[in-house]
Amino acid sequence: MLKNHLMEEIKMEGTNYLTVAYLGMITALAIWTWTVVVRSRSIETRLEAVELSIGIDVAQADDIATQSNVDTPDEATL
Amino acid sequence: MRRQIPEMFLGVGFVGIMTTLFLGLNWAPSVSIDAFESPAAQRIFYWHVPSAWAAFIAFGVLFTGSALWFFKRSPFGWRLHVAGTEAGLACGLMTVWSGCVWGAAEWGTPWDWTDVRLNTFGLLTLLALFLVLGRQSQPDGVETRDTFSSFGLYGFVLVPLTYIATRIWQIRHPGPVIGAGDGGGSLQSSMALVLLIGALSFTLFIIGHMMISMRITHLEQRLEHAQKSLDGGN
Repeated sequence: MLKNHLMEEIKMEGTNYLTVAYLGMITALAIWTWTVVVRSRSIETRLEAVELSIGIDVAQADDIATQSNVDTPDEATL
Repeated sequence: MRRQIPEMFLGVGFVGIMTTLFLGLNWAPSVSIDAFESPAAQRIFYWHVPSAWAAFIAFGVLFTGSALWFFKRSPFGWRLHVAGTEAGLACGLMTVWSGCVWGAAEWGTPWDWTDVRLNTFGLLTLLALFLVLGRQSQPDGVETRDTFSSFGLYGFVLVPLTYIATRIWQIRHPGPVIGAGDGGGSLQSSMALVLLIGALSFTLFIIGHMMISMRITHLEQRLEHAQKSLDGGN
């Protein structure tokens, strides 16, 4: 009885059902994509830990960029 | 360029999914007011059917990966298994959620426990949930992978059962609207076109997602191996 009464109270229009369904599915897509981003970040953190343990400076991990900076003097010094 | 293929799949798939939503809400014709209790809610199916289709692809990938790991001990197979479970869970939840909301609008109840298709698909989604949560809570090892792979192998039985359920025991869930086998289809051409765009887009999207997931799993494995080597493990 109470259940039927409540169902009547919260009876929604078709467009409201449509909105609820699509918002739920968009949320699912967002959470799924977010878990992938979290896993990527976790790998990044672990990679930094490995680099630290073998003595690589994270800021100098890009060898080419480091070499390029050494070869080309800073504009301010020219 | 080759490394960006998964991102391209993901991006094109996402654009297609959003286009499907736009066309489904604004361009596709309404269904007959007499045929449905809630004609507006029928537009849910432009994502509901493609996400179910994508879930079946994901469960197929899960089965293939489980078999490759279980019988061949293939690392590639394990990566397929991981990607398939994640994609199967996401698409399965989307299908179940949208189906429940449509059921509430059309039937007056979100779930019918006597309908075979609803229950077998619900079990498939629960299986994917178990595999994802189980893998996160258990330490990775041969026994763990064997256990989860065997669940992936046996669970696949539910896929053909779900597919034929509405043909054999149609109770509440609508029958197939395309490829029904009786030569008739209840779908207008413009509705079928939106549905086709949706199915293609969801397919591209989950392929992209699964390729990225496999790449991440591979990187995780390599990192773990490197960390073990540094710690003097092997």
